[in-house]
Order: sequence, then structure tokens, then C-alpha cells
Amino acid sequence: MSIGAAGPPLSLSSLSVRLGDHRVLRDVTLAVAPGELLAIAGPNGAGKTTLIRALLGLVPRESGDVSLLGTPVDALSINERARRVSWMPQEEPPGDNVSLLDYVMYGRYPHLPPFTTEGDSERRIAKAALDEVGLGDRWESGAWEISGGERQRLRLARVLAQETPCLLLDEPTAHLDMAHQLEVLDRVRARCHTEGRAAIAALHDLNLAARFADRIAVLQHGRLVAEGPARAVLSPALLQEVWGVVADLREDPRSGVPYLIPRLRTEVPRPRPPAPGLRVHVVAGGGTGTPVLRQLWEEGFTVTCGVVALFDSDHTTAEELGIPVATEVPFAPLSDASRAEERRLLDHADRIVVAPFPVGPGNLANLEDLMPYAGRTPILLLGGGDWSRRDFTGGAAQQLWARLVATGARVVQSPAELLEVLRPAGVLPGRSASAA
Amino acid sequence: MAAGRTADPDAPSGTESLAATFLRRRRLRWIALLGLAVVGAGLVLFSPLIGPVPIPVSVVESILLHQSFQGLLRGSACGAYPTSVRQCTIWVEIVWGARMPAVVLALATGAALGLSGGSLQGVFRNPLADPYLLGLSSGAAMGASLLFVFQIDLASAYLVLPVFAFLGGLIPGAVVYLAAGRTRAVETLVLTGVALAALFSAILATFLLLNPLGDLEVSFWLLGGMTGATWGRAGIVVGALMIAGAVVALRARQLNILQLGPDVAHSLGVDGRRVARQLVLTTTLLTATAVAFTGVIGFVGLVSPHIVRRLAGPDYRSVLPLSAAMGAVFLAAAWDVAQVVIPTVVLPVGIPTSFVGAPFFVYLLYRRRTFTGGPAV
Repeated sequence: MSIGAAGPPLSLSSLSVRLGDHRVLRDVTLAVAPGELLAIAGPNGAGKTTLIRALLGLVPRESGDVSLLGTPVDALSINERARRVSWMPQEEPPGDNVSLLDYVMYGRYPHLPPFTTEGDSERRIAKAALDEVGLGDRWESGAWEISGGERQRLRLARVLAQETPCLLLDEPTAHLDMAHQLEVLDRVRARCHTEGRAAIAALHDLNLAARFADRIAVLQHGRLVAEGPARAVLSPALLQEVWGVVADLREDPRSGVPYLIPRLRTEVPRPRPPAPGLRVHVVAGGGTGTPVLRQLWEEGFTVTCGVVALFDSDHTTAEELGIPVATEVPFAPLSDASRAEERRLLDHADRIVVAPFPVGPGNLANLEDLMPYAGRTPILLLGGGDWSRRDFTGGAAQQLWARLVATGARVVQSPAELLEVLRPAGVLPGRSASAA
Repeated sequence: MAAGRTADPDAPSGTESLAATFLRRRRLRWIALLGLAVVGAGLVLFSPLIGPVPIPVSVVESILLHQSFQGLLRGSACGAYPTSVRQCTIWVEIVWGARMPAVVLALATGAALGLSGGSLQGVFRNPLADPYLLGLSSGAAMGASLLFVFQIDLASAYLVLPVFAFLGGLIPGAVVYLAAGRTRAVETLVLTGVALAALFSAILATFLLLNPLGDLEVSFWLLGGMTGATWGRAGIVVGALMIAGAVVALRARQLNILQLGPDVAHSLGVDGRRVARQLVLTTTLLTATAVAFTGVIGFVGLVSPHIVRRLAGPDYRSVLPLSAAMGAVFLAAAWDVAQVVIPTVVLPVGIPTSFVGAPFFVYLLYRRRTFTGGPAV
């Protein structure tokens, strides 16, 4: 596997590349160790492809060095390069309608002595590579007779058949369905982790990058702006800065790998419309408050929320919308601390909205704590409805509800009706398009 | 990957069928070559019958046999046919001295053009490439015609003629090579070539018309013919064919890989620029050598590789030798047609090849969904 060279398999130092008048890469230094898969991310035009092409010796450099397994790329013959590094470009000409096996066998070319022709061992390596990408059964088909996604996998098979210590993959998951995206990256990672190869993959999907790559390097305008393990690199701030995209960062509970949920601008907090001045507190839980929270927030009310458990979707919604929320630990009864916080929010509220949340012994206090406000702050009870389905307190919740109604709380049947009641007379703030 | 994985990809049966299919495919190549060889042999045997002087079949075949094995066979060159020694000598002179060199020159020139067409289509990744359409032939003919300007005796110009033709062919060769590096459109390259061809044809016609003896030669140079054939000229073309064939054959695998574009080829260890330079130079030399003795003959290099791909697939290791064989058969047959189609008149051989090739060219233009060109260099 090793070609007897010292130094990192793939390394760039202070690389700058100028294509025409445009500086595509500026002072990029990067190295990939044996057994490591590095993902390169960055917006379109950030220089990912140029970086990969520089490692192949395909672009003229303005300054800096590129070496493969410790040898400067310029010092290597074209054939020596082809034995050290293989490349899956973003796009390539369709070529001839040769059989899939013949196509993959092109990957064996640099290993064949001159003036010889491929033998059985070459065929077997090519066939194994085709098997690996799931095209083994169709090795006799023509390269023009397969779909775009299959073509992508075929190209990966060629790269695998080249059996080089270094792999460069430019958007290897383009055109692939979800299952094959995972499998292709799994293959590449396996080549790195079990066979000690080094790979760079340009990936647009940061979640795939975080999931499969050992490190992520982020390019912006040709500069390396972040580099390191996914945990250290991925952050909403980075996405905002590099891609101009707002995103929420979560963590895969199984693997602990971070993942991002990118948002359209219309979905995320934005400068508030002029507030009608009312401060509304929503008592929620179990996701029942989410539609109300969103609508009230979009209408420009000052909204607060409580008491909801961490990871409850109502809690997530509130956090995303920047709504102050009284929080409790999941599956725990409401604590004194959270109830105190709730009371503080209730004290400041002009209106109190009670979402139709399921009530159990753990969160019954949410209703109990409303009693002091009955008659003092207008209370709106949303939904009413079928108590048999959401009362897990043996009737205690229902009784509290009845007492609230008795003391003047108003029952509204839908969020729309709720909004009508809350809107100050004469003020009809237009609803934004996204809320429609 | 899970989808479509065979139960045991390394089972011996799988490997066997792998090898078997490869043998089958290689067999296809040999069958096609054999078929073309049979047709070629038929043309060699029967083409010398064609000509203004009627010569009995048995005499022609006897002369061919006798002259091929000179000194080994006894008796009259005309065999058992009852004829005078004087008549026989004349017939030998016609069959072996004039007709046979023309047949061999036609075969060799056809092979040269077929091989050039196949190589150029590979180098430029352009199915419309052809030494005629790219202007190489016209450039070479113009170069050769310079000899008229310098009033050099053509009879003694065996080797000088191809050299001048080569120098003339280098101009369009270089232009087309440079143009190929700049354009992605298949048609642009061909249109460049066609423009060059028109230009060089005009220059050529001017040279010929300025020369008092040249005006008779215009149709020969512009549309080609085997009328000037001698064994020596045929031999030079065969020699050039062998040299160029060796160079091209060693590049066939690289041409296969080059179809994926110069960058991918580079990543697979193929120096596309070098291959392209070498092959453009080689095909220019080969085309020029043929053109120097036969004039400009169109479309042989365009048609042959396409027919061959249909027969034996796109692998250049079969496309190149088979294109040569197909070109040889095509041009030899066209030469026969040129001699018989109008009694008493020998047509320039470029006329029958154009009758076949030009419609084929249009067909290729309209079937273009299957090809996408691009710079090879």
C-alpha cells in the first residue's frame, strides 16, 4: 500500500491558486494523515474543486507546495501520481459505451507495465470494485445504459479499483439516493479506517460530512476558515457566516454526532413587527402549545411560555422563536424553581392562554398555579374538548379547569378564535405570508 | 452495496464467465478482421480485371500468381492461355505493372485514411473527425503541389513529394490541434477543418492552374485517383502505414482512457497532451504520404471507424486495426467503382467515396445525441 514515502499522504502548505484574475485559493495549509477521511465543505465557488485539482497537479500554483506521500507533486511523473492518488471528479465526459467492467478497468491502467494488456487479476479487482458499489451483476452493461446515480457509483468503482493510498472525491454523493449516499461514504470511510488510506471528499451535505468524516475543513472565498472534528467546527455561527444560512444545531442521540437543521429565513426569528403591546403567557406541554406559540409570535405579541419540559416540542419551538420559557427537567414533577419562574412570567402577562395539554400528577401544578390569577388576568382556555383523553389525574385537572371557567376564564375553540379575542380592537396586524 | 449484490462475487463460475466473455469479445474482433481480409483478398484477385483493355480472367489470375512468386513458378506468366509471348508481355505489364500497384495503393491509402480517421476521432473525442474534413488532406495536397511551383520532376519525386505533403499537412494539423484545445463543440472543430480544407483547396487549384502542365491534374489532386500508381509509390504508403500503425497501436489503450477527458486521463496516468500531439503528428504524416500519391480522397476516414464500432464495439484496440482494414476495403472497392461506372472514363476515386460518405456525414450530424465532444488537449 505504501509507496515507501514519508510524510502525510496528502498535504498542502500555504497554497495559493489564481485562475485568470480570480484568486481561487489563498494560503491554504492542510494535511491528511493515513487512515483519515477529511471532508471539505464550503459554498459554491469556495475553492473545493480547485483544492482537489491542485492535489492532482492539474492547476498552476501561484505559491505554496503540494505533496503526495511526502513527495512534491511536480516531482512525480503522471503515472506515479496515478499510483498515489485517485480522483472522482464532480463531472466527466460520458466517454465511450464500453462495458462497466472495461470502464472500471481503466483504474488499473497506472499499475500495468507498458505494452501489456489486462489479465485475469485486473479483471478480478475491477469486478470486486463493481461488486462493492452494487453493480457487480451488471458488469456487461454498457456505460451509457445506466442511470445517473449508477454512473456515480461506477465512477467510484473505478477509483476503488485504482487502489491508491490517497483518494480525492469531488461530491461523491451527487445524484445518489439516500441509501447510496450513506453506503458510498461508508465504503470510503472503510477504505480509510481499515486500510489506512487517506481521503478528501468535497461534500455539500454538512450532516453527511459530520457523520462520516474524521475532520471537516471549511473553505470560504478560497480561505480555510475552520478545520477540525465536526463537534468543534459545526456551529450555527459558522453556517451563518460562511453560507449565510441560519441553522439549528442538534446532536444525534445515538452517536453524539452533531447535525444541523438549516432554516429558510422566513422560518427563523427576524425583526419583530410592531407589537400590539400585549404580553401573552402560554401554559403548554406535549406539543399542544406549538401552533399557538408560533401564531402569537408571528402576530407580534410578546410571548412567554411555561412550564414545559426540556426536549418537549413546545420547549423546542419556544427556544427557536426566542420565547422566554420556564423549563423543567423531562419526566420530572414540576419543581419549586420552575414554578417560581413560571409565576414570574405569569405576573408580567397581560393575558394567559392555556393550551389543551395533557395533565398528569407531574404537571398538575401548571393549572394549580393559575388559580391566583383567576379574575385578575384574563385567562383563555384553548380547546376545552375531550378531557377523558388528557386528564391523567383522576378528575383533578378537570375540576381546576371548571373552576377557572367559573371564575371568568373564556373558552376558545381554535387558535384563530384565540387571535380574534387577543387582537386589540381596530388593530389588525397583517399576517405574514409564511404563516398563511 | 446491499442493492444488487451477488451471493458470492468471487465464485469460480463468475470468474470463468468473465474470462469467457472477454474471449468472446476478442473473437468478435478477429471475426470482423477475418471478414474484411476475405473481402480484401477478393478485391485483390478481381480488381485487376477492371480496365479498358479486356484480359481473360484466367490470364489475370495466372499473372498475379506467377508474379507474386517470381522465379518459383515455371512456364508462361499467362499460364495455359493460348497467346503470343508478345501479347503476354503486354498483359503482364498492364496487370502487374499498372493495375496491381493501383489496387495496392488503393488498399494502403484506404487503410491510411481509415487509421487516421479512427485515431483523430479518438484524439479529438469527436465522431466527425476525419483527415479530409479536418483539412489535413487538402493541406497535404497543397504542400505536394508546391513541387509544381518549383518545377521539380514528379517522376523522380518519390520521397520529396510526401515530405512536402507532410509540411503542408502540418499547417491544418497545428490549427486543428490548437482549436481543439479551445472548443467544446463537436461541430466547431469540423467547421474549422472544413474552412481550412476550402482554403487549401483554393491555394492548390491556383498553384495547379498557374502551371502550364498542372491544369490537367486539378481533378486528380482535388478528388483523388490511383492513376499515378507504381509499386514504388504503393510501397512508400505501405511503409508509412506500418510505422504509423505501430505508433498508433501502442496508444490504443490510452485513447480509450482519453475518452474520459484529459483531466481524468491524467489522473489515471495518461498524458493526454503527449498522446494527442504524437497522434496528430503521426496521422498527419500518414495522411500526407497517401495524399502525395493519390490526391485528396474524402470521407474514408470518417465512415470506416463508425462501421467498425458497430461491428466490434468502441474499444480502440479493435477500432484502430479494423478501421484500417475497413478503409482499405472501402477505397479499393471505390476505385473499382470509379473505373466501371462510366465506360471509357475513369472517375476520380473521391467521387464514389463522397457519394457514400457525404450522406453518412449528414446522418452522423443528425444523430448527435449519442456524442459529446470536448477538448482532448
